[in-house]
Amino acid sequence: MKQWYDAIKEAQSVEKLEEIRISVFGKKGVLAAEFAKMKTAPNEEKSKIAKELNTHKSSLMSEFTARKITLQTLELQNAMKAEMIDVSLFSTTSEAGALHPVMETMDRIVEYFSSMNFAVKTGNMVEDDFHNFEALNLPKYHPARDMQDTFYFKDEMLLRTHTSPVQIRTMLSQKPPIRMIAPGAVFRRDYDLTHTPMFHQIEGLLVDQEGKVSFANLKFILEDFLKYMFGDVEVRFRPSFFPFTEPSAEVDISCVFCKGKGCRVCSKTGWLEVLGCGIVDPNVFEAVKYENVSGYAFGLGVERFAMLIHQIGDLRSLFEGDIKLLEQFR
Amino acid sequence: MIVTRSWLNEWINLDGISTEDICKTFNSIGLEVDSLKSYNVPKKIVFGRVLECEKHPDADKLSVCKVDIGTSVRQIVCGASNVKEGIDVVVATIGTIMPSGMSIKPVKLRGIESEGMICSSSEIGLEDTGKGIIEVDSSIGQYKLGQEVLTNHIFSDDVIEIELTANRGDCLSIRGVARDLSAAYDRPIKDSITNDKEDKKVGIGRILSVKHDKDLNVNLEYKAVELKALKTPFIVKLRLSQIEESRDTDIESVMLYATHSTGVILRAYKFSKLCHEKDDLKASIELRKDENGYASVVSDEKLSIVGIIQNDISKVDYKDGNVLVEASYIPPEIISKQMQECKIKSGPMYYKTSRGSEPELNKGISYVLDMIEGSSSSSFYGGTMGINNSYSEKIVSASHKEIDEIIGAKIDTQRINKLLKNLGFNTSKSSSNGFVVTVPRFRHDISHKQDIIEEIVRLVGIDNIPSKPFHFIEKNQLQSDYFDYKKKSVYRHKAAQSGFNESIHFVFDEKKKLLKYGFEIISDTQEILNPIVNTLDTLRTTLLTGLLKASSLNMKNGYSSVKLFEIGSVFNADREEFLKMAMLFSGDVTKESLSNLGKPAKIDFAYFIQKLSDVIGAVELKECKTKHLLSHTYQSAYVIQNGEVVGEVFKLHPTVQKDYDLDDTFMCELDFEKLNFSLKKASISSKYQASFRDLSIIMPKSMSYETLKEVIEKNATDELIRFYPVDKYSDETLGEDMSLSIRFVLQSLEKTLEEEDITTAINSILNALKDELGIGLR
Repeated sequence: MKQWYDAIKEAQSVEKLEEIRISVFGKKGVLAAEFAKMKTAPNEEKSKIAKELNTHKSSLMSEFTARKITLQTLELQNAMKAEMIDVSLFSTTSEAGALHPVMETMDRIVEYFSSMNFAVKTGNMVEDDFHNFEALNLPKYHPARDMQDTFYFKDEMLLRTHTSPVQIRTMLSQKPPIRMIAPGAVFRRDYDLTHTPMFHQIEGLLVDQEGKVSFANLKFILEDFLKYMFGDVEVRFRPSFFPFTEPSAEVDISCVFCKGKGCRVCSKTGWLEVLGCGIVDPNVFEAVKYENVSGYAFGLGVERFAMLIHQIGDLRSLFEGDIKLLEQFR
Repeated sequence: MIVTRSWLNEWINLDGISTEDICKTFNSIGLEVDSLKSYNVPKKIVFGRVLECEKHPDADKLSVCKVDIGTSVRQIVCGASNVKEGIDVVVATIGTIMPSGMSIKPVKLRGIESEGMICSSSEIGLEDTGKGIIEVDSSIGQYKLGQEVLTNHIFSDDVIEIELTANRGDCLSIRGVARDLSAAYDRPIKDSITNDKEDKKVGIGRILSVKHDKDLNVNLEYKAVELKALKTPFIVKLRLSQIEESRDTDIESVMLYATHSTGVILRAYKFSKLCHEKDDLKASIELRKDENGYASVVSDEKLSIVGIIQNDISKVDYKDGNVLVEASYIPPEIISKQMQECKIKSGPMYYKTSRGSEPELNKGISYVLDMIEGSSSSSFYGGTMGINNSYSEKIVSASHKEIDEIIGAKIDTQRINKLLKNLGFNTSKSSSNGFVVTVPRFRHDISHKQDIIEEIVRLVGIDNIPSKPFHFIEKNQLQSDYFDYKKKSVYRHKAAQSGFNESIHFVFDEKKKLLKYGFEIISDTQEILNPIVNTLDTLRTTLLTGLLKASSLNMKNGYSSVKLFEIGSVFNADREEFLKMAMLFSGDVTKESLSNLGKPAKIDFAYFIQKLSDVIGAVELKECKTKHLLSHTYQSAYVIQNGEVVGEVFKLHPTVQKDYDLDDTFMCELDFEKLNFSLKKASISSKYQASFRDLSIIMPKSMSYETLKEVIEKNATDELIRFYPVDKYSDETLGEDMSLSIRFVLQSLEKTLEEEDITTAINSILNALKDELGIGLR
């Protein structure tokens, strides 16, 4: 019997073990033969032999089962080992496309103002003098209206220089109250390292009853908005001048690169100019024939936001479909 | 606008206020600081006096000087041409470390000992004031020989450049900027006018007569001076260089300096040019509108246009002799309107006059005369002549309530009153309910109550206004433009997920290129008048050219697989704006990797259509010939959705592919408005099993699948829910024919189809194909 215990222990494969199983437990196996011998054994020994044989049978069986599990596990391991690969060969990058950082930034801005219950309004790129200038308190001979800055067409139409005409058109077609933003492409005749002839703006306008809208309201929403866009930054308002607002201010955030210490990007000032805003000039309301109203307005350049947020150095690369730049944003 | 601390100090006492604080104040009151430059003249540079000056025995261009430097007299060799006996100079003494890093040591120059260096302005770190060494004079205030120059405030100045907004012409002078500071710091402006100078005891009327047209709309004041030995003071030279200006003659330098300081536009005329005869003692000028309607000064010929330009022939080019000094003011709205309507060559003063120069002419006259008196031995004719256009005062009122409402905070009325007064406004008519303000003439930008409120806001400081949320009535703001924006966003995301990179291009394009490739162009009468460059000289009528250019750039950058899309505006010949979506796929379908053994497949028609469909949903294609010439003649199609053509898709024409140096490229351009953006509806689906049948049909190679498709669709029973080609085969035995395997999917809503039902359905199709097209099973 001992030899069979050893054979099971030493079996090296499931097939070998199966051969042993047949030799031991099979109809013509060792155990069957031993049990058969019992017939010829003296009666008084029969029960002793039977007991002995049964003990062997169950011990051998449990040895067999244990060995089988060991061998099966081993074989599975070997089979898997044969499928081993060098996983490090398969490091990869996404093959999905990327959304343009300027459009993504625009989406984020629209998302903020939509959640603040501002309507989204769009308009045409080709505009006329009235909607782009005249109605915005930029009369014909105003110095802020240099021929050099505007693309004109032969028929005296022009490419909008800001999205403000959308606001004028909205006011002409709707009654107050108004809360809207106008996202879109705008055009200035300027082309160098920091200017492109086309860029994107978002302008906002809020109009309600006279006495209801104050500079303090404007400050509140812009401070909140800039913190939403840039995280934990300081916000500073500087008085400034725009023909269509009065009082007007330019809004700075503490430099996102040097945290206000002063660096090349912020020209050592610690501040970055990001927005223009103000209380709507009465002349603008006059042009759209609104009476007894008050309102605020603001405007920003989307490329500037995108460049600051994503630390993009070259403005012009944004308009070249340059995959080197774009693929970083997928 | 450039100001310096010491110059501002002439108009307002800035003692105890740091330059840093001044800059901060400028920013907070709306005068944005562009740059700040501080001068640091090194130590040991002192004032000295040239006692003797002789030619160097061995060098033509060198002089040997004895210079009194207070404590002692030193021998110094100097190479400047303007060094001479008796002048006061700036001397770098032994041991000085110059800004250039050079240290001053005793040296021998061509055998002569030299102990120190007489300096020019740039050598000691100041702006370049012209050729030669500095000649110090009393214009810099009192000084002692031997005193270090850095202790003099002119030599240790801070230069601040301010970016002014277009409405603040009143700040285009040192005095104007000082006036804003006076309101910010509540310190008075130093504004004194000296009495008329009339030491000639002869009145101006004896030597000048002035005639003028009516309605000239200008103010002019004239003063006659007999110049004698005028010499530009050092302070004028230095400060003009600090404000990045210079003039050729002494009188012009002094005039420009006075204009920058006071804001009054000043000119000097050569007296002889005002006299009709050579030996005339009395000059006469006429003030009249010229042929373009500009107010001009005329004698025998036109001498100047008020506020714009002075004719060179009337400019003074001498230091001795009679000169007529002119101060002028023209309202900015008049001059800029005039310029808009009838553009003429502009002059250096137009920038100031069109934004608003100082209307108080006597301030400028008295300032410039003081300067002339201080730097020459000139004498003056008594009185002035000129014209004074009447001006009606602007009065603006704003109630306390209005002010508080617009600002959104309560501001102390006494404080408002004080700052308005400091800005030059007269508030004496105000009542207990609000302010009634008389606007000074130099503030032409103020005409509404909101202009007054702006003044208050900027001087109180926006930072001192608390933020408050706006309370509004709720209203649904999600309107059609928002949904259009949303639709764009959805398609952009789908395209990016399908592997395409979003790009933005200018809506400009090159007309020549559009014509070359057969695209529509903007009609000539509606074309851009002033394009910025030749390659962007028209509006684009397609997105395709932009994508081509970009893919060419990316191929050059080493990308073998380029996938781009753009959603943007294009224009038609009538310049109407349309939104389009275009996609481009060029080169390899994917990057090289282990899975494709480094040889990815090239993009082909089937793959591109699959990508297109991933983005815009199921499409059908119909052969087409595109109007433009970008497309491959035999691989272009209309893209059809729900029975409507939404755009076109094509392989790039081999020639164009070569033009742009590209690999195989596929493109599509779609009308964005026609793309689907409605909510999806689920259709009823069968609970019973679907059956498939693949049939190989023998058909002529020249027959289009579309023909086949139409026949099948027409004759199919309701059980046929879908069919599509799955294989194509041809060989010699088939000749001009080919075998096309089509998979038919059959399913019923009512039951599992029996073999019999399927056979019937298939047979009706096969019969139709045979009857109508004469084709059948292989």
